[in-house]
Amino acid sequence: MIANQPALIKRELWEHRSIYVTPAAIAVIVTLGVLATLMLASGFAKELDMAIFGAQNLAGDVERRAALTGFFVGTSWVFLVALMFLTVFYSLDSLYAERKDKSILFWRSMPATDAETVISKLLTAAIVIPAITAVGIWATHLVNLIVTSIWVSAKGGDASVLIWGSVSILDNWLAALIVVVASGIWMSPFIAWFLFVSTWAKRMPILMAFMPPIILGLLEWIVFRTQYFLTTIGDRGDMTPLFHSMSLERFFEEEQWRDGMENISLLQHMDLVGFVTDPGFWSGLLVCGILTTAAIYVRRYRDDS
Amino acid sequence: MTSLVNARSVSKNFGAVRAVDNVSFEIEKGKILGLIGPNGAGKTTLLKAVLGLTDCEGDLSVLGFNPFKQRKQLMQNICFIADVAVLPRWIKVTQILDYVEAIHPNFSRSRAEELLLQTNVRSDAKVKELSKGMVTQLHLSIIMAIDAKLLVLDEPTIGLDILFRKEFYANLLNDYFDEERTILITTHQVEEIENLLTDVMFINDGKILLDSSMDALSDTYVEVLTSGEGAQKARGLGPIAENQMFGKSIMLFEGVSREHLEGLGELRIPSVADLFVAKIKEARK
Repeated sequence: MIANQPALIKRELWEHRSIYVTPAAIAVIVTLGVLATLMLASGFAKELDMAIFGAQNLAGDVERRAALTGFFVGTSWVFLVALMFLTVFYSLDSLYAERKDKSILFWRSMPATDAETVISKLLTAAIVIPAITAVGIWATHLVNLIVTSIWVSAKGGDASVLIWGSVSILDNWLAALIVVVASGIWMSPFIAWFLFVSTWAKRMPILMAFMPPIILGLLEWIVFRTQYFLTTIGDRGDMTPLFHSMSLERFFEEEQWRDGMENISLLQHMDLVGFVTDPGFWSGLLVCGILTTAAIYVRRYRDDS
Repeated sequence: MTSLVNARSVSKNFGAVRAVDNVSFEIEKGKILGLIGPNGAGKTTLLKAVLGLTDCEGDLSVLGFNPFKQRKQLMQNICFIADVAVLPRWIKVTQILDYVEAIHPNFSRSRAEELLLQTNVRSDAKVKELSKGMVTQLHLSIIMAIDAKLLVLDEPTIGLDILFRKEFYANLLNDYFDEERTILITTHQVEEIENLLTDVMFINDGKILLDSSMDALSDTYVEVLTSGEGAQKARGLGPIAENQMFGKSIMLFEGVSREHLEGLGELRIPSVADLFVAKIKEARK
């Protein structure tokens, strides 16, 4: 089961190049955007010069830290949004495309079981894509810190203090890694649902994936006048247990940044123990297991070649 | 003789349609068996059952494995090429070699590369850049580099021109087949493979009409080219098929000794294609 996984996952990366092209493209776009912003800011006014990242005219260390952390969180968020789309489209395509082009007959002529194949796709969606996204986030942060440092140094600023001394890189990076990996695991029931649809749908898997939940939600509303089903699905997107100790209002309160916070830590706002002990974590894994088993079963028994 | 495939009362239904109907047969080591039948006869379904791609009723053992339940173990010793171009179009030649090398314990990459050197397939090409003939060459090079006990070919040369078809079978015989290996093949182009076959099996409406070695076939079936009085006498011996050509009758006999037919006309060994047509017509009467 395990021995074939590296080859099977490598195969996924060959087929779905968007898994690494998308983060690379975002990294380039963000970097170009930062460069453009720096140039634009310099062009308009001296006061704005270097204002974006750790500039000298930001009043103090705390504000500078807040600005840099904001940049880190903001860019990570762009990657997270891309991760969501990437995962949905990858999962829906992964077991559908092989049936569409009949290559399933070749893959099944090799000594890899249906279970191994489906699990490789689940691992790719839930672990590999988030991991590559995390690397993309880190690389983007690093490149932009270097670009900004060069910019600040060229303007006479001390990058070692203004940039590198003002950001908790490891804290931010570890937080980004935790969020993307945790999101993969937390969202695994949805991934498994998409995989199931991918192996089951005769056509238009995207429609087949989203229509049943919408119809069920509508039926619930018509019959019971309640919205538990869609609310449950929607609420899961918040990953609440991971950010249990975090209040968004308080997070952005200026006072909070000043209240003796020597270091702004994103990790402080995460509750890993609460996350893995939350019933939602385990029930999600259970649903993921059931739907993955169903996907394996359908791939094994379905014969539309 | 060692039996590689052993089927006892194997059936497969698709809803109300009985695609394979209570068939029993054996395939022994070192044979090249041609499975021949019209479209919809159940050939591909039977092959899929042998390959573990579909479940079936009855007892089916391939290399001692239950093909459906032990497909992974089976696939380590069995190879197949399906009836359509099934190599993924997005993959590069080097990637497919990397993949098979990593997954298949009996694959020799150096052998595959050696075979590919004899073709026009570039190692850096993607499958979608190759012609259909080249894709088949690539697939065959991979398959021939796998040390498998049983090779299953389902219409492997469909859509290929005559040059590729001839080359395909020549490669198969010269570079692959030996007494340790067994080949099970289906094709519509019976004439092209009948000289390769050691055994032949006809299937129609899910049932086996004929299961014989090629040697036994020439003992059991005789074709007589005759006319006039000879034709009258021959007809009295109950041919299973009769055709007219250039004013002469061609009659096919089953189980009638050559001694009985001597003197009635020119005796010939029937082609597999003629025999197939006769058996199908007989079954449909």
